Amino acid sequence: MEIQEFKDRVFAAGQAAGLEDMEIYVSKSKTFSTCVFHKEVDDYTVSVEQGVGFRARFSGKVGYAYVEILDQDSVDLLISGAKANAQIIESDDEIEFFEGSPRYPEVIAYNRSLEAISAEEKIEFAKALESEAFATDERVSMVNYAVTGYSETEVYMANTKGLEQSFERNGAVSFVSAVVREGEQIKTGMRMMFGNNWGEFDAERLAQDAVREATSLLGAKSVPSGNYPILLRHDVARDLLSTFASVFSAEAVQKGLSLLEGRLGQQIASPRLTLVDDPLLKNGGASASFDGEGVATRTKKVIEAGQLTTFLHNLKTAKKDGVESTGNASRPSFKSPVGISPTNFFIEPGTLTYDELVTKMGDGIIIIDVQGLHSGANPVSGDFSLGAYGYLVENGQIVGPVEQITVAGNFFEVLETVEEIGSDLEFGSPGSRGHVGSPTLLIRHLSIAGM
Amino acid sequence: MLSIQQLYHRNEGGFYLLAESLVTDVILAALSTGGDFAEIFMEDTRGTNIRMLNGSVEEGVSGRDYGVGIRIFQGFRSVYAYTNDTNRENLLKVALEAAAALSGAPQLTNIVLQRLVVDRFNPVRLEPQDVPHSDKVGIMKRANLAAAGYDKQITQVAITYLDTDQHVLIANSEGLLVQDRRIRTRLGINAVASKGNEKQSAFRGPGRHMGFELFEHIDVEEIAKDAARSAVTMVNADYAPSGKYPVIIDNEFGGVIFHEACGHGLEATSVAKGASVFSGKLGQQVASSLVTAVDDGTIPNAWGSQNIDDEGTKTRRNVLIENGILKGYMIDKLNGRRMEMEPTGSSRRQSYKFAPTSRMTNTFICAGQSTKEEIISNTEYALFAKHMGGGSVNPATGEFNFAVAEGYIVRNGKIEKPVRGGTLIGQGSQILQKIDMVASNLASGQGMCGSRSGSIPTDVGQPTIRVSEITVGGRKGAN
Repeated sequence: MEIQEFKDRVFAAGQAAGLEDMEIYVSKSKTFSTCVFHKEVDDYTVSVEQGVGFRARFSGKVGYAYVEILDQDSVDLLISGAKANAQIIESDDEIEFFEGSPRYPEVIAYNRSLEAISAEEKIEFAKALESEAFATDERVSMVNYAVTGYSETEVYMANTKGLEQSFERNGAVSFVSAVVREGEQIKTGMRMMFGNNWGEFDAERLAQDAVREATSLLGAKSVPSGNYPILLRHDVARDLLSTFASVFSAEAVQKGLSLLEGRLGQQIASPRLTLVDDPLLKNGGASASFDGEGVATRTKKVIEAGQLTTFLHNLKTAKKDGVESTGNASRPSFKSPVGISPTNFFIEPGTLTYDELVTKMGDGIIIIDVQGLHSGANPVSGDFSLGAYGYLVENGQIVGPVEQITVAGNFFEVLETVEEIGSDLEFGSPGSRGHVGSPTLLIRHLSIAGM
Repeated sequence: MLSIQQLYHRNEGGFYLLAESLVTDVILAALSTGGDFAEIFMEDTRGTNIRMLNGSVEEGVSGRDYGVGIRIFQGFRSVYAYTNDTNRENLLKVALEAAAALSGAPQLTNIVLQRLVVDRFNPVRLEPQDVPHSDKVGIMKRANLAAAGYDKQITQVAITYLDTDQHVLIANSEGLLVQDRRIRTRLGINAVASKGNEKQSAFRGPGRHMGFELFEHIDVEEIAKDAARSAVTMVNADYAPSGKYPVIIDNEFGGVIFHEACGHGLEATSVAKGASVFSGKLGQQVASSLVTAVDDGTIPNAWGSQNIDDEGTKTRRNVLIENGILKGYMIDKLNGRRMEMEPTGSSRRQSYKFAPTSRMTNTFICAGQSTKEEIISNTEYALFAKHMGGGSVNPATGEFNFAVAEGYIVRNGKIEKPVRGGTLIGQGSQILQKIDMVASNLASGQGMCGSRSGSIPTDVGQPTIRVSEITVGGRKGAN
C-alpha cells in the first residue's frame, strides 16, 4: 500500500475509533555500506526501509504506536495500540498537535551528485583505505575496518490539524581502523569522516592519519597520578559535549535532571565559549527545515560568551516555561516518542591551531581518545571518569605517548575552565543526539589516575 | 492487499510468514551470480514499551517491526540486503540487487526445503499481548512505590516496562526452513538519590526469555528497594581512591567484566581475522587455573537464551575456558568458514536489519570453592565492586574500562566504607591471569549488548571473584 492511501485509512479508522487528533511521522531511507578486508569485499549491505510512527489523542491523552509494513494489520495495530497507550497515560503534560509554522526555512542537506556515486566507486574507496594504510607503515599488521557507507532519508509528517511537510537528507561516511604491531605491542588508530561532498573524501589522508595515530602510541606508558593541564582534542571534546548534551534540554531541566536548572542568563562557562545549535547549516548531518513536531527550525546560541542564553525546547516544554519552542523537538526514529535533541550542535572555533595550543599548554597531557562514555559519565551530576590515551607534553613539546590512565572531572567544571579554544572545529557522525562538533579545548586541569 | 493474502499464509501463531515456494525462488535469485550459500531471515515482531516517571505513566509505545534480510556468501565474501516490502516482486528484486555485488555462474539451480521443528525449551505461559496494559502499569507502580518510599533522599524514580514477541522464519540454500518465536519481558528501575547539588543514580533491570509470568519469579519490591539503597549509599559516599590495587568484584552483574574484557575477544568476529588477543591460543593457559567460563544459550527462560540462533543453528552450552585453558570460541557460519570450524549456535542479530555474527548469549564464570565472606576476610586492602556499571573494550588490544556503580573499601578483612566514581581499566587477558579467589555464589544479571550485529539481550554472570591488581581511576588521588 502506498503511504497516502495508508494515511487515509489510518485517519479514517482512527476517527471511527474515537481518536481526537492524529499524526503520522514517516521515514523512508536507503542505505549502502561496504567493508573491505584483505583487498576483498568482506561485507556489503544494502537496504530500503520505511517506518510509520503514529500518535493520537484519546480522552485528552496521547498514545504512540509504530509499524514497518503498510497493510491492514498495521492499520489495526496503530489504532488499537495508540488508543491503549493513551488510556494508561497519567502525566498531565499538555501535548500539542501543531498546525504548521507560517513559513519554513530553506535548508540544503541533500546532494544529488552524492547519490550518483556508484557502488564500485565506494568499494574502490574502501579498498584504497586499506591499501593506503598498509603503504603508510610496515608495522601495520591489519586494517580491521575499511568502511564506506551512504544513506539517504526522507521524512514526511502529516496530521489532522492540517500539517503536511517533508524534507530529505543524504550523506556518506567513511571509517578506517588500523592495527600496528611492534614486538609484543599492539596499538590501534582510527579515522572517521562524514559528509555529503564526495570530493572531500580523501582515502590517503584518512588512512595515513589512522596509521600515524596508531604508531604514535607505541611505547606508551602510564604517568603518575595527579592534576594535569589537559588538551581535549577536538574529537574527544566533541564526544564529551555529545554525552552531556542532554543537560541543555528543557525537558531534563523541568524534570530536575539538569544542574543548569535556574541558571538561565548566568555565566556557566568560560567567557571564551560560545555554543551554537544550527539546524540550517548547509549540508549538516542534522539539518532540517522542521523539527519532530513540525515546527520551523532556527539557529540559536545556547551559550554566548559563557552565558547560558536558552535551553532547547519542544512545544510541551516551551508551554510549561511560557516561551516559544526553539524547534528542537526530536524523533530519533519513527519508533520514538517526541523528545528534545540538539541539531548541528557545536562550540564556535577560536583562533589558535592545534600546534599552537600544545605550545601554549606548556606542560600537560593531550587526550586523544576516551573509552567508557556510556558507562563512566553521569549526565545528571556531570561527573566523568574515563579510560584514556594521549601524549605527555613538556615545555610545549610532545615527549611521548600515554596509556593506562583515566581522566576524571566534571562537565560543568570543564565548561568553566576552558582556557583556550582551537580553530580546528570538526564534526563527528550524526546520530540520534544530533550532529555534534567541537574544536580542541585547553582545560585548566583534570584529574589523571595512572601509576 | 489481495496480493499479500495470496502470497502469505497464516501459521498457528496467527502471523504471516513467507510461503515455501517464494522462499525457494528468492534463495535461487540470490544465488544467480555464483554465491555458494544464501539465507533468508524474516521477522514480525510486536512489542510494548511503557515509561513511568515518579509514579506517573508518561509514555506508551506499541510497535511492529517487520522485514526480511537476505544474505549471500561466496567464499569469505558476504552480502546482505534488507527491506520491509515483502511482496514477491520486491523480494526478488532485492535478492538480485544483492547478488549483483558478486559475479560468477550459478552453482545451485534447485533447493529442497526441509521443515525443521524447533525444540522449545523456553516455555511461555502468559503471552504479554494477552495481558492488559493496566496490569503492566500495576507492576510498574509497585516498583515505583518501593523505590520512592525507601528513603527521603530518593528524589526521582523512573520505571520502564518492555515486552517483545518476535516471530522469525529462517531458511537457507542448505535446505533449512525453521520458524521460532522469542518472547521477552523486562522491567527497568532507575532510582536517583540527591544530596544538595549532587545526584547519584542506580539501575536494576531484571528480565527473562518469558512472558508476564516473569513477575511471579522476581520480587519487584525487593529489587526496587535495592536500586534505591544503592543510589542513597552512593550519594553519601566519598570518591574512590585511584591507583593500582586489589579489586573484589561481586557476583551477578559483576560478570560484565568477563563479558566485555574476555567474551568479546572470544567471538569469532574478532578471532577469525586475528584481531583478538585469544586468536590461535586454543589449548593454551589464558587465565588463572581457578577460572572456568561458559557461554550457554540453552538455560531455560534465561534472558539471553534462544531455542535456535539467528542462522537457525540450535543453541548449546559452549565451554570457553576450562581451569584456565582456552577451550573454544563462539562461532557463526561465515567466520566458521574462515576458521575451518563448525558454528556453535552463537550467531545473533538485533533484527532483520543486521547480518548476524557470533555473539554471546548467557556468559558466566563458573562457581569456585571459596565463599564471599572468605574472600573479604582474607583481604587486607581492596576495592569491593558490589555493582558494576557498563563498560567497553578494544578487541584488538583487549583494553577495557568499567564504571563501578557501587563500590566499597575493604580494609583488614572488613568492608570499611562506600566509595563512588571508580573506573576499572586494564587488559582482559591480564586480569584473567590475576584472578586469585573465586567464590561459589554464581548468579546472573541482564544486559543489552551492543556490537556489530546490533543490540541484543545477554546475561552476564559470575560468583564473587578477587583480582590481585587492577588500575582504579577516580577523582581522588592515590591512597
